[in-house]
Amino acid sequence: MEKTTESTGTIFKVKRFSVHDGPGIRTSVFLKGCPLSCIWCHSPEGISSDISLWYDKNLCIACGNCVLGCPNNALELIQDAEPHINIDQKLCDISGDCVKICPSGAIQFTGSTTSLSDVVNEIAKDILYYQISGGGVTLTGGEPLYQPDFSMAILKACRKRKIHTAIETCLFCERDAIVSISDYLDLFIIDMKIFDMTQHIHYTGKSNEIIKENFRYIAKSGKPVLVRIPMIKGITDTEENKNACVRFVLEIDCQIPIEFISYNPLAENNYKRLNMPFLLKC
Amino acid sequence: MIPEFQNLKPSERILSLKNKTLTAVRYLSIEQAKIITKVYKENEDLPVILKRAESLARSLSEMSIAIDPEELIVGNRTPDNRAGVVFPEAGLNWLVNEIETLPVRPQDPFAVRQNDISCFKDLIEPYWRGKTLEDDIYRSYGKEISAIEKVVKINQKDHAQGHICPKVEDWLRFGPAGLLKIAQENLSSAPDDRKVFYKSVVKALDAACKFIYRFGALASDMAKNQNKDALRMNLEEIAVICKRLSDNPPETFREALQSVWFLFVILHMESNASSFSPGRLDQYLYQFYKNDIESGRIDSEKAIELLDALFIKFNQIVYMRNAHSAKYFAGFPIGFNVTIGGQTKNGVDATNELSYLILKTQDHIRLPQPNITARLHKNSPDEFITECTRVIGLGNGMPQIVNDESIIPALKTIGIDHDDCMDYALVGCVELSTQGNYLGWSDAAMFNMVKVLELTLNDGKCLLSGKQIGLKTGSLDNYIDYRSFESAYKKQIDFFIEKMILACGAVEKSHQSHLPSPFLSSVVDDCLTIGKDVTEGGAKYNMSGIQAIQVANIADSLAVVKNLVFDDKFIKKETLLNALRNNFYGNETLRQLCINRIPKYGNDIAWVDELGAKLVTYFASKIKQYRNFRGGGFHMGLYTVSVHVPMGQNVGATPDGRFAQTPLADGGMSPMYGRDKLGPTAVLNSVSRIPSHLATNGTLLNMKFLPSFFDNHSDREKFASLLKSFVCLPVNHVQFNVVTAQELINAKADPESYRGLTIRVAGYTAYFTELDEDLQDEIIKRTTHGENN
Repeated sequence: MEKTTESTGTIFKVKRFSVHDGPGIRTSVFLKGCPLSCIWCHSPEGISSDISLWYDKNLCIACGNCVLGCPNNALELIQDAEPHINIDQKLCDISGDCVKICPSGAIQFTGSTTSLSDVVNEIAKDILYYQISGGGVTLTGGEPLYQPDFSMAILKACRKRKIHTAIETCLFCERDAIVSISDYLDLFIIDMKIFDMTQHIHYTGKSNEIIKENFRYIAKSGKPVLVRIPMIKGITDTEENKNACVRFVLEIDCQIPIEFISYNPLAENNYKRLNMPFLLKC
Repeated sequence: MIPEFQNLKPSERILSLKNKTLTAVRYLSIEQAKIITKVYKENEDLPVILKRAESLARSLSEMSIAIDPEELIVGNRTPDNRAGVVFPEAGLNWLVNEIETLPVRPQDPFAVRQNDISCFKDLIEPYWRGKTLEDDIYRSYGKEISAIEKVVKINQKDHAQGHICPKVEDWLRFGPAGLLKIAQENLSSAPDDRKVFYKSVVKALDAACKFIYRFGALASDMAKNQNKDALRMNLEEIAVICKRLSDNPPETFREALQSVWFLFVILHMESNASSFSPGRLDQYLYQFYKNDIESGRIDSEKAIELLDALFIKFNQIVYMRNAHSAKYFAGFPIGFNVTIGGQTKNGVDATNELSYLILKTQDHIRLPQPNITARLHKNSPDEFITECTRVIGLGNGMPQIVNDESIIPALKTIGIDHDDCMDYALVGCVELSTQGNYLGWSDAAMFNMVKVLELTLNDGKCLLSGKQIGLKTGSLDNYIDYRSFESAYKKQIDFFIEKMILACGAVEKSHQSHLPSPFLSSVVDDCLTIGKDVTEGGAKYNMSGIQAIQVANIADSLAVVKNLVFDDKFIKKETLLNALRNNFYGNETLRQLCINRIPKYGNDIAWVDELGAKLVTYFASKIKQYRNFRGGGFHMGLYTVSVHVPMGQNVGATPDGRFAQTPLADGGMSPMYGRDKLGPTAVLNSVSRIPSHLATNGTLLNMKFLPSFFDNHSDREKFASLLKSFVCLPVNHVQFNVVTAQELINAKADPESYRGLTIRVAGYTAYFTELDEDLQDEIIKRTTHGENN
């Protein structure tokens, strides 16, 4: 045994047979917490690093058991045409009693604190498929470099098992995090959004100076890189932005592949579950 | 893939033949029933096997025959295409009740000629009353069969059992005339008690030769009056081929295809049965193909036109079922299973140009028959897997994929020789068989283990009717722990197995006395050598297959009982039992707990999968202890095809949260619909924990993909990788349902049952039921559009 105390991290999803996050058949691990808050984010439950509750009305059978079970009276059953539960986040202390009680899985945690070995065991379940397809693991999020130590621990463990490793990152992070993790990485998937700095701040909440600097560093490091740009109508998909991003990438290294990714329409449902406004639509 | 194959298109002639096949009105046909009835009436004192041979011989010489001048491959058992043929010896009871409603029944109707109704009612049916296989079975064992029918569905009670790969290789090597000579020689040296068998075979084969000749003669006559040159030349060629084949083995590719087709026509004239399967067409036809290509007699365009023509013929014999059965086996599936790829006896990859041409033929024809199976193994060429992937992506669910690495060692454990194992093929849907020497009786019975679980929970009493069907082992609230519950479950299983084995014996005995099949026996080793009919045990291998149904519901239900009831005591025993008795009425909360609190089979959770595996293993080991009527063994299958629906109707509410009388999990190995949530790799991992190696009768795993998953090269490559991974797992079979718009419409209306359905939306894959309604509609529309292309 290497360690006595095992590292843990916060993840909100593990997706197996993930076939569009790098080569081959992959498992994507979604790490919770992100420095940006892009208004189109398709996994809004991954933005905050805190675990909270979310609620899926479609699954709810309005039995009301959670209301009775909540020690803080944070839940209320609304008996209208479509009976549903209201969660008062201010009263909720995330005790999780309601999650345990809920029979249909309508109330869930938005993530869980997970040990390294649990994550790695989950990843290792599909090792056969990685080997045959040339696939592996992709850390995504959220922003995996928001939990740099845990991400690195996962990748290290995967490397040991000869699993191909990729990370999908927005690059808004300390340079050190990139430097140290790149030893355990086979592929950087860079989630690039907006070239113009003002626009970037406006739509993601942060400047892209650090991102660009980090990108230059990675592109020159010789690691395989794939750039992906989500196509958000009127924001990222303008000719001007696309051209600027492409020019920026190709001027650094004309070999780097660039993909334009169509937007995930699942997003809105996720906002509903979180009871968060979906700004993109507004 | 040979590049020139890529661009082969179906010819005008093929499109026209296909269209005619699909648009022809299907009629009930009693022509052969009249002949059979006459022969039986005139020869009441003959041994049954001779009556059967005489009936076949007279049918082969007297039945009307027809040729369409466009046809390249000719012959059918009736002059009309796709007729519903009546065979009186096996059973007529359903037809007595349904002959008038055949034309108006919702599923698979047949037109009926007015005269035929009266002829059937006045001349045919009265003679057979009390004399058929069905009548005999019900007389001798009907009460016992009914007593267990909610648990065990005993099959083959009113038709011949079929489900066999004849020895096509020998049929092609010797021709019927050559086989006739062998039978005549054996007859002359046979001991007295075997003479009747050989006499019957001789009669059948002699008539087979003449039947083939009749098509030659008809083609000659038709050629004389045909003024279109191309059609006349075709008819002249047919005449030459049929006349030659009546007396000689085939030499050319076209002759070989024609000869194969005649074999299956005649088998279907002897026995009203499904699932006579051609087996490894790409192997035994390859030499004919190669010779003709090398000599320049045909090119690949001509070769595929001939294969196309044969594939259309496979759709011209249909199996008429009663209205109830037609609902679940819609579209007259008759089970012509063609197996391609695999290995030679030496373990070398056996894929050849014909394997690819057959896949291309499927691309051309896309009709329900034949059922195409591709055998994969560790050294299957990438290009073969790629081409299988492409064709799977076309829809139709073909080819289905089977795994040599898992199947061949399993077949060895039931005593099959190495060479025969290497040469295995599939029969009907997914049944495993060796070629030309195996009477698998693969559909002997379906054993509803979920029903037995229900009885174990309720002291042997049926939850639906309240009747005492099983043993009084106590009910859920009486068991002190999971172990005592499990041991009661096993006792109930034993109880029904014993009764089932006796019933299977009674059915086989009646088959032997009613449906000996001398023509079939002439193409199954070792019947001709030892002088025994197949029904008497003449085949080299004599198995009986029992399907254990359904592992997903068992694993899921046991997981709830074990974990929630006994281990965690989260649910009180009485509470669950009452909920089941009331079909969860007024207790949706409990039902949701049963569904969501405990992981389900298909999500790669070892302890859940293993609960199912354990019971299935128990079942397999139990039935293995018995011998069948022909002296062979019983073995297990894990498939239901579409019977999971009627089987589910027999079962009350189950602890996995399934409502009473709703369908069980589909396929056989598949997870319960909507319960697998982690995608195909998790499903495959779960399935690999179920002992496929004990299911030597066959297994069925159904997986669903959207057509758009096959749109681009990179995704198709990932699919091919999934197939290659499958070969590394101990799983026998997988088939891919490339999902249709209708299924998506159903998924939208009933999301709970379709949670695992993943679809490719744009640049990524998502769960369909999680999509917004508008997007669902959009995809449904898009999918419909895709289907029209």
